[in-house]
Amino acid sequence: MARGARIVGLAAAAGLALSACSVGEGVDLAGAGELDTDDYLRVAIAGEPDQLDPHNTSAYFSFQILENVYDTLVEPDENLEMQPALAESWEVSEDQLSWTFRLREDVVFHDGSPFTAEDVVYSYDRIIDEQLANAYRLSAVEDVVAVDEHTVRIDVSQPTPALLAAIGGYKGMAIVEQQNVESGDVQLDPVGTGPFEVAGNTAGTAVTLRANDDYWGEGPHVPGVVYRFISEGSTALADLTAGEVHWTDSIPPQRVNSLRQNPDVEVAGVPSTDYWYVTMNQARPPFDSPEARLAVARAIDREAIAQVTWYGNATINQTAVPETSVWYHEYAPFEQDPERARQLAESSGLAGETIDLMVTNEYPETVTAAQVIAANLSDIGVSTNIRTLDFATWLDEQAQGNFDMLLLGWLGNVDVNDYYYNQHHSEGSNNAQGYSNPEVDRLLEAGRTETDPDARKELYDRAAEQIVDDASYVYLYNPDVVQAWAPELQGYEARPDRAIRFKDVRLEEDTE
Amino acid sequence: MTSPLLRFLAKRLLHTAVVLLGVLVVVFALLQLVPGDPVRVALGTRFTQESYDALREASGLDRPLLVQFFAYIGNALTGNLGVSFRSGEPVTLILLDRLPATVSLALAGIAIALLIAFPLGTWAALRRGSAADGGIRAVSQFGVSVPDFWLGLLLIIVFSTMLGLLPPSGYVPFTEDPWGWLQRVILPGLAVGVVSGSIMTRYVRSAVLDVVGSNYVRTARSKGLPRRTVVGRHVLRNALVPILTVAGVQAATMLGGLIVIEVVFAWPGLGRLVFDAVAARDYPVVQGTVLLIALMFLLINLLVDILYAVVDPRIRVS
Repeated sequence: MARGARIVGLAAAAGLALSACSVGEGVDLAGAGELDTDDYLRVAIAGEPDQLDPHNTSAYFSFQILENVYDTLVEPDENLEMQPALAESWEVSEDQLSWTFRLREDVVFHDGSPFTAEDVVYSYDRIIDEQLANAYRLSAVEDVVAVDEHTVRIDVSQPTPALLAAIGGYKGMAIVEQQNVESGDVQLDPVGTGPFEVAGNTAGTAVTLRANDDYWGEGPHVPGVVYRFISEGSTALADLTAGEVHWTDSIPPQRVNSLRQNPDVEVAGVPSTDYWYVTMNQARPPFDSPEARLAVARAIDREAIAQVTWYGNATINQTAVPETSVWYHEYAPFEQDPERARQLAESSGLAGETIDLMVTNEYPETVTAAQVIAANLSDIGVSTNIRTLDFATWLDEQAQGNFDMLLLGWLGNVDVNDYYYNQHHSEGSNNAQGYSNPEVDRLLEAGRTETDPDARKELYDRAAEQIVDDASYVYLYNPDVVQAWAPELQGYEARPDRAIRFKDVRLEEDTE
Repeated sequence: MTSPLLRFLAKRLLHTAVVLLGVLVVVFALLQLVPGDPVRVALGTRFTQESYDALREASGLDRPLLVQFFAYIGNALTGNLGVSFRSGEPVTLILLDRLPATVSLALAGIAIALLIAFPLGTWAALRRGSAADGGIRAVSQFGVSVPDFWLGLLLIIVFSTMLGLLPPSGYVPFTEDPWGWLQRVILPGLAVGVVSGSIMTRYVRSAVLDVVGSNYVRTARSKGLPRRTVVGRHVLRNALVPILTVAGVQAATMLGGLIVIEVVFAWPGLGRLVFDAVAARDYPVVQGTVLLIALMFLLINLLVDILYAVVDPRIRVS
């Protein structure tokens, strides 16, 4: 029991008990203090994970850690193309309704138990049966079957070209161990098959990982990783420059450019798979008129917004998919054109209105961006009432359709379906703006089942153009992945999907 | 054996229990009025209706409010504060994890505040109107006006980044590594202690001034007692009662209100916990933390009352 282990841990810390014995092999839940972590890689992330059960958390802070603890059947490489991981190979049946995965045979979990097809069945069944947060990713799955000990078959109801991305694009689809889940330990002391295992968990302070000596792949090359939670970016940078941590992504945007000048710090800058957008409530006038939406699309100054929010560390984009992705489609019909925007605003009845623009202080860039948008709109005769809410309230208001216009980002997609379907299909689960275009619905449905990659891309390119032309979303930019690390950290690469992988990194000795 | 002190204690304890129950009721009711759905926050932006319903049921949020309320009160009375919506951990354990960090920071803060306030406040009062008095008042005015987070960042820049003397952030339990704890508590302790100490300096000054002007001090002086005796035995002892009140309030405030400082110094205390929990609408954690902070507030008040009674026996009787 994790609960029992924790009480033991507390007591040990207080010096009341002599040992925290028999809690999983060598797992120290009393805190990182009893481990010798001097040689460990020390990283600062911007927040504390809510829990470490990969199927139950949706917090990025959890996945920054879990990325190194768990494996999926397949995983995206740096170009976000799917590569073997726990599955060595796979094949799809003639009718496209059956995917068979051949599993690696040399994999063991951190507690020493072997990894088999049953673990895959258990993991996926758990997500589907308990309707966990990721169940939507497996909506096409009819059955998961262990064919033999090292072969697993996934049956789907319709051809599903995005299946690999669905099961591997995200550690929320990790393969978990049944016993670890059923004991409840998974929340704090998860057992995976990844390059590192959880070795200590001090609430509010740090999670410590230790290298998995039995890891099936290359690496790891550091004895462990200590994740500290430092939400204040200035503090995290002070820790980085003081040598207290080797890596951080807790960086205030206004510090990025000066950080690039610092020779003692490496800074990453690749466009991320995140995108930010403005959308308008099509259930309400005047935004039920496409003209009114296009007026906004032509009024806003994307460069200025990128400048105030990310100090230029963002790539302007008028569609969702970033240029680093194979699904990128170059399409940018709008230039800032106040004259044209004013005409559109007048003919659609938008001019002279006061618009409510809903933003959230959970994502401060929405608050700053809103100020630029308000200024842009006032140039075309529209006044804006910026409404800043905390995120919980924001989500409620969005769900109830209580907004004229809102601003938010969508974080981390791999397959192109995830960029468009839920947001712009009339039945999409995230279509809060109420967009409905039968042609787009048809294209998005066809894209879900088209198995020829070129034909599939063609479908999505057409859908994307129509979505942009109708201004269902007015896309702004893909922010850069901004991470900084000390020069002695070698072999680290920032990825567009923000997966933080430490299995290949080394710490060089100080060469004073 | 019902000494006045014991009767006094019993009465205060009963009072404490009643207030706690009130806090429980008020917090539960207030959380229902706050907009924002905990299930939606927990699931993020992508989920199916089925997932939503499943989590809502698992969190017990689908039950009628009154049922939730009585279940909560019943459990709370037995020390079971429920489990966190987000992590599934028992709230009592989460609070026990966070309490030492907050208490140790508050203790450091209040110690630094007292170290600042006592000498400076007394000094200023005894030399009322002098340049020293003016200087101390100006400095304390500055200290009161400085936001603690700004002071915190400034301390990090000077002592960590520029001088490299102290680590910029983090927390080590005192029981594990006293030296590491001390190194890490100094900066956040200073940030809160300076602000709090500046406030208290002014109280100490006026408390001492009040006493200095009173008849018994004049009497003591006219008897020709040495200055040190007059100040130590008569002035400070009598000034202690109002100062204790302020120190108590300051200490209690620190226990519940160090949110920003805990964020700046990545300090794993209750302030940051409740901050995150409110954002996530993690009701059990919010309720538990507020309850604990209220409890500590009441205990400190109790402690202050007892100290009064020790310092000034007249209070015990009345």
